[in-house]
Amino acid sequence: MKKITQTGVLFVFLGLLLSSFPSCEEIPPVIPSGQNNPDTAIDVSQQKRQVLIEEFTGVRCVNCPAGSAEIQDLLLVYGEQLVAISIHAGEYSPPLPESMYDFRTEEGDQLINFLGAPFGYPSAVVNRKLFDGEFSVQLSKAKWAGYIAQEAAEDPRVKIGIETTYSDSNRSLEVKVTLYPQEDLSAEDLRLSVAITEDGIIDYQVTPDGEVPDYEHRHVLRDMLTAYDGDPITEALLPGSSPVFTYSFQVPADWNEEHCHVIAFVSKAGADKDVLQVHQVEMK
Amino acid sequence: MKRFFYAFLVMVLCTGGLPAQGQLSGRLESFGNFFLRDSLIGAANTPQYDHQLYGAEAWLNLNYTIKGFEFRTRFDLFNNSNLLNPQDSYTAQGIGYWYVGKEIDRFKVEAGYLYDQIGSGIIYRAYEERALAIDQALLGLGLQYRLGDNWLVKAFTGRQKQQFDAYKSIIKGLSAEGFIVKGEDKKVFLVPGFGIVNRTLDDGSMQSLVSSLATYRKEDQFSPTYNTYAFSFYNTLTRGALSWYVEAAYKTRDNLSDPFGERVTLSGDTVVGPTFFQAPGSVLYTSLSYAKKGFGASLEFKRTQNFSFRTRPQESLNRGLINFLPPMTRVNTYRLTARYAAATQDLGELAYQADVSYKFSKRLRLNVNFSNITDLDNLLLYRELYSELTFKKPRKWTLVGGLQWLQYNQEVYYFKPDAPLLQAVTPYFDYLYKLSRKASIRFEGQYMKVGKDEKGELHDYGDWVFGLVEFAVAPHWTFTVSDMYNIQPGHNSPVDDQGNKLAIHYPRFDIYYSQGPTRFSLSYVKQVEGIICSGGVCRVEPAFSGVKLSVSSSF
Repeated sequence: MKKITQTGVLFVFLGLLLSSFPSCEEIPPVIPSGQNNPDTAIDVSQQKRQVLIEEFTGVRCVNCPAGSAEIQDLLLVYGEQLVAISIHAGEYSPPLPESMYDFRTEEGDQLINFLGAPFGYPSAVVNRKLFDGEFSVQLSKAKWAGYIAQEAAEDPRVKIGIETTYSDSNRSLEVKVTLYPQEDLSAEDLRLSVAITEDGIIDYQVTPDGEVPDYEHRHVLRDMLTAYDGDPITEALLPGSSPVFTYSFQVPADWNEEHCHVIAFVSKAGADKDVLQVHQVEMK
Repeated sequence: MKRFFYAFLVMVLCTGGLPAQGQLSGRLESFGNFFLRDSLIGAANTPQYDHQLYGAEAWLNLNYTIKGFEFRTRFDLFNNSNLLNPQDSYTAQGIGYWYVGKEIDRFKVEAGYLYDQIGSGIIYRAYEERALAIDQALLGLGLQYRLGDNWLVKAFTGRQKQQFDAYKSIIKGLSAEGFIVKGEDKKVFLVPGFGIVNRTLDDGSMQSLVSSLATYRKEDQFSPTYNTYAFSFYNTLTRGALSWYVEAAYKTRDNLSDPFGERVTLSGDTVVGPTFFQAPGSVLYTSLSYAKKGFGASLEFKRTQNFSFRTRPQESLNRGLINFLPPMTRVNTYRLTARYAAATQDLGELAYQADVSYKFSKRLRLNVNFSNITDLDNLLLYRELYSELTFKKPRKWTLVGGLQWLQYNQEVYYFKPDAPLLQAVTPYFDYLYKLSRKASIRFEGQYMKVGKDEKGELHDYGDWVFGLVEFAVAPHWTFTVSDMYNIQPGHNSPVDDQGNKLAIHYPRFDIYYSQGPTRFSLSYVKQVEGIICSGGVCRVEPAFSGVKLSVSSSF
């Protein structure tokens, strides 16, 4: 009798528990509508927090095209508030025998060592930040949108202006980067990085459908005008100051200057590598 | 967390002079790696091969029991370790585990990192598998109550361990498991049980999911849910030599990620890759076994649909798993027969397995195993026929031999698009000869012959031959020499500068020394990349070149 009672109590309890689930309605979150940021240039004074996403990829990486497509969607949502660089480095980056180009760069190889190798692909680094709850700055695709939204909601601590002068005759490029600190950053050890990317390069890529010969490679890191981890900013960054940094560069003949962008960003040096702000302009 | 550790130390030290009152035990497991770059086999381009050269992992457990209390703690160490991410280096150390438990009559309370499972683990399993860098302990509180003589009710709540931190989502659950004796002769035993597990997604993970869904087309978006419930009913029926286990599990709609999901982007492109979707899930698993007088047979069946259960949907591979799905293939141990292992597919799998063994005499025994795994659209993922004949001359020698035949879906298990269904036939033998009461020598040989693709190239790495000689002098020493040779290179074998496929040797030398509970090993290893699995949970193991040292002991 005792056993029957105990088993009975157990199943009555279970029944009550199961019957209570249908009433556990929760209020769902609201999904914001996309494409709310036009991709148009705005004045530096109006500049919001702009977020850097560095995608690590390779022409042999079968899963990477899905990551690149995700970045294109994120660019549609965040517009100028998101700046993308695709770094061809790591085990899947050597060109295929039939590839026209080798997208690997010395800085790309240095950056994958500097930031750490991905744990599976697609993988990207958002503002070079080690987010709470993560043990690597490399993030799987499922995490990009959330951390970009989190970073984009912050106020910029420094704003960045970029002016470029490109000469068609000798393919020379002059870059002038001006920093506009929004607060006293003089106590921080900061670096300025300037990179050039090229968009719309057609070449082979391995995809889930096999090798695609006319794949469009986006935001490909072509070169850096500074060290791979940035040049030290020795000027005191104080509100009201506007230090200027200039660079000269000879654009290689096989780059399409119409599709190139100049990207400048300020990041921390040391154990934390967080990017404070990024900005990009068309090279020409 | 450190406070608990220091409190533990103080307690142990204070009671050290009173051994009669408590008992202290422990275990050490430590590994050291020295990395020797070998670009040809792919053992290169990681911080360890480039400049760090050394890596180490260690776990030291200390357990103390006194007056019904149990105190446990563990020091974890990772120095330039490639265990968490084979392509990167991880350094951290600290208290990776602590536990306090106390039984009070029928009631038991536990706090700290809890390892446990419900049924076969289909809705909940908190466990550790160091070789796969899995530690799914629940940091929280557990309560148990013995209801009568035959029922144990458990409840728990907490967050899943994430290295030296914890994920933010809350996992809680309840289970009851009984033991019932039936029949006039009281020879029918029932072990019924049920369990419920709930995961409440944390706000950060939800916001991240919402941000991702904002980049989806309207028709691909869904309303994500914070709470997901998983239910399971299970029972083991035993009568004499017959045992039947059945478990049915259901999971309410959950936010899932399909690694092979197809989606049209906002830009209008169709892409295949990790894609969020929402669905309820189910698993039906049953196993029937019979064993009597030298004959044993078992049949297993499992159907899985959308049963990925993670602490947050952003996690992938082996991270953040709340549950464990039983594997449906035999555990192969020989180097080549274990080369192609089937990772459990948690989004869709239909699998069955049959195993028969018969002992003809004291000298002769036969084991045959067949397993077949498809997805829910009947696409073949894995099929294996395995035979093993054991022939013995008691106290003198043992000969094991057999044949493995398998088909393996590289597209799914290796994420290799357009890769053909791999076929392999592997005959093998294992001969152990006792030279004396203490000394023995063992020989292993295996040959793997794989199929060819449409271009006439051999599948994957092509054909392999493996040989091993092991000399053991009990109870202290064991010496092993082995070589795995890519005798006929295939599609993925390394090439030289002219693009010619290379037939590469992968040698290995091991020395093991045991002294009581302490064991040392020193190995020189050159290892081809592959997949290692434990219970159907797998991970990619990159090529390795270098020296490994391990020390383990218990006290």
